[in-house]
Amino acid sequence: MGRSITDLLWFIGKRLLLLIPLVLGVTAIAFILIRIAYPEPCVIWLGGHAKQSAVNQCIATFGLNKPLVVQYFLYLQQFLSGNWGISPDSIPVLTSIAQYFPATLELVVASLALIVLIGIPLGVIAAQSSGRWPDHLVRIFYLGGWATPTYLGAIVVAVFVAPFLGLPTSGQYSRPPPFPLVTHISVLDPLLAGNLPYVGDALMHLFLPAATLALLNMGIITRMTRTSMLEVLPLDYVKAARMKGLAEFVVMYKHALRTALISTTTVLGITIAGLLSGTVVVEEIFSWEGLGQFAYDSITSSNIPGTVACVVIFTIGAVVANLLADVLYGVLDPKVEWR
Amino acid sequence: MTEDPVLRVEDLSVDYVAAAGTFHALSNVTFEIPPGRVVGIVGETGCGKSTLAHAIPGLLPTPPARVRSGKVVFQGIDLTALPRWKLPTVRGTGIGMVFQEPLNSLNPAYRVFDQVAEAIRVRRFRERGVPAARADRGPFDYSRRAPPSASSTIGRPFLPGGAVEERLKARPMTPASLKEEVLEALTLVRINDPETILRLYPHELSGGMRQRVMIAQALSERPALLIADEPTSALDVTIQAQVLTLMKELIDEVRTSILFISHDLGIIAEMADDVGVMYAGRLIEFGPVASIFGRPRHPYTRALLRASPDRSKSEGPLQSIPGSVPSLARLPAGCAFHPRCTLARPNCSVDPGPPLAPLELPGAEGHRSACWYAREVDA
Repeated sequence: MGRSITDLLWFIGKRLLLLIPLVLGVTAIAFILIRIAYPEPCVIWLGGHAKQSAVNQCIATFGLNKPLVVQYFLYLQQFLSGNWGISPDSIPVLTSIAQYFPATLELVVASLALIVLIGIPLGVIAAQSSGRWPDHLVRIFYLGGWATPTYLGAIVVAVFVAPFLGLPTSGQYSRPPPFPLVTHISVLDPLLAGNLPYVGDALMHLFLPAATLALLNMGIITRMTRTSMLEVLPLDYVKAARMKGLAEFVVMYKHALRTALISTTTVLGITIAGLLSGTVVVEEIFSWEGLGQFAYDSITSSNIPGTVACVVIFTIGAVVANLLADVLYGVLDPKVEWR
Repeated sequence: MTEDPVLRVEDLSVDYVAAAGTFHALSNVTFEIPPGRVVGIVGETGCGKSTLAHAIPGLLPTPPARVRSGKVVFQGIDLTALPRWKLPTVRGTGIGMVFQEPLNSLNPAYRVFDQVAEAIRVRRFRERGVPAARADRGPFDYSRRAPPSASSTIGRPFLPGGAVEERLKARPMTPASLKEEVLEALTLVRINDPETILRLYPHELSGGMRQRVMIAQALSERPALLIADEPTSALDVTIQAQVLTLMKELIDEVRTSILFISHDLGIIAEMADDVGVMYAGRLIEFGPVASIFGRPRHPYTRALLRASPDRSKSEGPLQSIPGSVPSLARLPAGCAFHPRCTLARPNCSVDPGPPLAPLELPGAEGHRSACWYAREVDA
């Protein structure tokens, strides 16, 4: 059959194996590009007035006088053994990633939920009223979001929308949390500590950055849903569902949308990748302590291992997101065989 | 006819409004379907058969389609006057439908079981009744309707063996009983291995098999009227014969009224009790099968019979009809058929022809024609 659980696990395993050459390639490109961008990192780290002897010592310590290929393989060796380098502020990069990545994941999942819960029904409404005013309204809404640059959208939301709604625009909590940050997921940590007021506070802080990300990336999902719904609606099985005596809502969401979603999920992977990179700007503007902000700080403070690590994480994120979309695609379409 | 008809279509006219112009897809169609009878509608491609099939349960997309005039009276209620949101209460248990393309008429994402079970659940929900506060929401109170066995539309037990009332009483809405009923529905349409078919997706079934599932699904709601819109046209000839045999057997088993639409005169002659002939969006002749095919009273029907390969055994070579079907956007004045008619007189190009009135002729009871010169048409 090709649709059993073992087939699915083999499929996922094979796709994850693909990550190995991908990560190798991505680290190589990122490493080389950064070395081109910062030919003398030691001068930057030590400052312009540092003594030449100190600079030389720094170069020797970090092995920067060796050929680039050797440097890359030394880096790779460390990378595979779990030492992703140390930031200039002497915090291990892997520790920072473990701290910031969950926060970013939280933001991405929240905005993804908003996209699915709002963007897909909007696409259904647009298709149902194709050519009439709700369709045009929806089109203006998603094209507006799609065409707005992330920084502009985020600033508009933070400066004009936030005071209007009375929602916070900075950080994860209003006051420093009294509980330990175990998972670094702002909603989950107070929940684990049983501190409900902080859960509400975290949700309020989460809403605006997540909504901004969702609004700006929703367009493609709404549009795909509308297009594939328009393809499905004239088909006989939609009429057959109506002729069963089902209510229009059930016909739309159980029968038509179910098959229309198959094409939407393909774009979902791309959207998640877009959300991940979109977080860099949104986190910076909303002071969200996540990977995006870490990436931004790494780049501006010439933190070479930090930057490479962020590129690797974003790459893995994009691959896993696309894998998720492929699995979802196969679950939705019974004609797909796992191979 | 003493019984009220299940369906009465009165003076129904439907237009398609498009940028290229207004297409008169149906013009003043009038006919009725008495309980338990099979009414066939025959005509060439584009004569409005499918529009009629879709207009009756309100399936036409309302732009571009527009009901210009007329009524569709189903069990005493005018469906064209019913608000859109109430239409679902008529569909399924009231009017069921089998579509032309078995490839497209089952949802590719759900297993056969889920699709048939969904139809059964709709029927059970309506049979079971809803709280009184919600019961009188509309004229179609199927919820308080007696079980189908008691209704006049289904004379015999729906399923072979056992009275329906007993089965209903003995059958609570449990997953097991649902599966049992799905299996019965599939057995009814002569599917040999229903247990296996249940678990399959539509793309794993052949065209004929899918059409059987479609028929099972429609019949499992025990509709008072079943519309079959060219149910065999998309199938291979051998499969076509199997499905037709099945439907013919089912007509005897399940006493549901049927509106059977086809372009194939042979199939209509085989299946139907009454026949309506359509041309350019009009119903031009209506009457009992034997009478229409034995002695047509409209020049178009006569020409159609002579042009049909399976009816021309003794009539010599096939005769094609001169000219072509008029565009529905620019129908000729007067009778739509007059430019191609051998009997046409000058007044035919002005006068649209008499309303479909019963002919006062011996041996032609119930036979109606829309030609002024019906008496002059020789078979």
